[in-house]
Amino acid sequence: MKIVVLMKQTFDTETRINLNAEGAIDETGVNYVVNPFCEIATEEAIRIKEQLGEGEVVILSVGPDRVESAMRQCFAMGADRGVLINDPALEGGDEYTTALVLAKALSNMEYDIVLAGYQAVDDGSAQIGARVAELLNIPQVTVVTKLELSDGKAIATRELDDGYELIEVPLPALFTAQRSLAEPRYPSMKGVIQAKKKPIQRLTLADLGISADEVGAKGARVKGESLVLPEPRQAGKIIEGEPAEATVELVRLLREEAKVL
Amino acid sequence: MSMRYHPVTSEVIEELKTIVGEDNVVLDPEKLEAYGMDEVSEAEWQHAPEVVVKPENAEQISRILKLANRELIPVTPRGAGTGLSAGAVPMLGGILVSVERMNKILELDRENLFMVVEAGVTTGEVQRTAQEAGYLYAGDPCSADSSYIGGNVAENAGGNKAVKYGTTSRHIYGLEVVLPTGEITTLGGKCLKDVTGYDLVHLMVGSEGTLGIVTKVYLKLMPLPRYVVDLLVPFDDMKKAINIVPIIMTHGGIIPTSVEFMDNLSIKAAEKYLNQKLPHSDAAAYVLITVDGSSEQQVEEEFETIGLLCEENGGLEVFVADNKAVRDRIWKARKCYAEALRAISPVYCMEDIVVPTSHIPQALEEIYRLADKYEVKIPCAGHAGDGNIHATLLREDMDEQTWQEKKKHVLEEMYKVVYDLDGNMSGEHGIGAKRKDVLARFMDPVQLNMIRSIKKALDPNLIMNPGKIVDVE
Repeated sequence: MKIVVLMKQTFDTETRINLNAEGAIDETGVNYVVNPFCEIATEEAIRIKEQLGEGEVVILSVGPDRVESAMRQCFAMGADRGVLINDPALEGGDEYTTALVLAKALSNMEYDIVLAGYQAVDDGSAQIGARVAELLNIPQVTVVTKLELSDGKAIATRELDDGYELIEVPLPALFTAQRSLAEPRYPSMKGVIQAKKKPIQRLTLADLGISADEVGAKGARVKGESLVLPEPRQAGKIIEGEPAEATVELVRLLREEAKVL
Repeated sequence: MSMRYHPVTSEVIEELKTIVGEDNVVLDPEKLEAYGMDEVSEAEWQHAPEVVVKPENAEQISRILKLANRELIPVTPRGAGTGLSAGAVPMLGGILVSVERMNKILELDRENLFMVVEAGVTTGEVQRTAQEAGYLYAGDPCSADSSYIGGNVAENAGGNKAVKYGTTSRHIYGLEVVLPTGEITTLGGKCLKDVTGYDLVHLMVGSEGTLGIVTKVYLKLMPLPRYVVDLLVPFDDMKKAINIVPIIMTHGGIIPTSVEFMDNLSIKAAEKYLNQKLPHSDAAAYVLITVDGSSEQQVEEEFETIGLLCEENGGLEVFVADNKAVRDRIWKARKCYAEALRAISPVYCMEDIVVPTSHIPQALEEIYRLADKYEVKIPCAGHAGDGNIHATLLREDMDEQTWQEKKKHVLEEMYKVVYDLDGNMSGEHGIGAKRKDVLARFMDPVQLNMIRSIKKALDPNLIMNPGKIVDVE
């Protein structure tokens, strides 16, 4: 069983985001982590391999050199090798261009299952998995909470607002992971030591046969105009006095100041 | 109220308003109540002050203390109220001095590696400010996010990193204090050596607000260790788990940044609280080991050495966190210790005994024997690297009388065990009001008298945080 996991490296969710003089995100002092949903996808991939007792888990990612540390974390959990696509021309891309690059890379790889996080915690756009499956023209099930395999088929449980949906698809297929799909394991010491020796194949656009015009800022369908930080939160207001009077004042403020009533 | 002291009168309140401004005098009973407790969960260790004042500098505190001496009113200094011995609880009422408005970082001295801060700055802010500038402030009590530096000084707060970096006292080189009689003085400063007279700085550190009010603190910084790795190792036997500490230090030749442990009851409590399956949760103990350093290679060698030693000496598995996401995950169970226990039993009694590290297994054995004998659950966790054990008696659904009786017997016997093992009753939480009576029974009378003499010399009217550590009269 060949499993490819699409992995994005994101900011640590506790990072305090600052903008630099050019209005871009200032990356100094920022901690990077494996996107938590991609970590869940990685865990599921490793479990499938362990249950079957055979197979390979490959981590595929688009991003700069620093993504290596995120890949090593997936290796420490048990993934076998990595493919990292890094090219200066990818700068300024969007979901469309990233999916294009990933799909192109996948079309040169062997896979029975592609797993991805259903969304990344940084931009939360939840598009990559769906776009890649469309480009590869393979079945997809998104927001999966349970995955069962048998005889070249998979039954994926998918979360709905008011229940669950069970979808059977033939393999190869792509699945995106919801939080409850798997609990990522704690890396073992052996895993961490072995992770240092596992291979990462580095690819450029030229290796994939993609022209620089198709991707990055030039190929992007969505252009970011500017970034703004949210307004700092204002201190709350405490209404003093007896409950009966304070309630009257609260209702007045909700009507006249906050204008929510 | 004791006969010695007088109540806070309306004249006194007017005078306090003149000193700190009307807005900084709190009289609302609901708000006073919040200043009448710390993190000790039992109602007997709660008592509201008559008035709270929020001064903004040492001069105002000096005037408040002079007023309190003149009127014989007890004064209780208070930081963030995260204490665990009712040290900042005004057990006799009176005036509570909160340093919450004194929250400025005054100086970051990169040439001498010092930070000078006011007493009401949170430990977390000190740590972050140091880190952003590329330095380490190594004081790290578990309450760092909310506790104030002033409180850390008063209690000589310990925490996880004490194995390698020592307790708060090791990072304090100078203090501005207002003495109980109202004099303002700066003890020590930025000099790394100082034998000019008694070590008054460290007389103040750990004095639990009974010898004055700390207003400014000179904190030593260190170069920031760039690499940190944490190991989580489950053991099927508590003795093996604790014995790993001397093995790491002697065979491994490594002083880890911290070595924490939790017993099976604590692991199960965390598992239930986090609603998450923890690895090897049937293990007798978890040991959490942190190493840090400025070279990646050195830190790697150290964690591999420690990991192998753990495997050879009974560790069931060695989990490794070399990045923040995994680190947070493997520390989660240990960090939620207090909350997890509170979820099982809203009322509990957390003890803070400390023994020479090699005696931890024996101390734990005795504690579990007491738990069986008195039929009370006592989950234990804490700092294996420095012998400091948090043994927590859970009340669960006992009635008040049963709880009080069991607690009394267990604590009495537990302290006896601890003293027989050359230990002490508090490693980092302090005596405060909570352990005052037992301290009087267990401490060498010679030392009790030394404490009383010092107290009387500095606080002749006994107005400064009375009813804490020892009774003077």
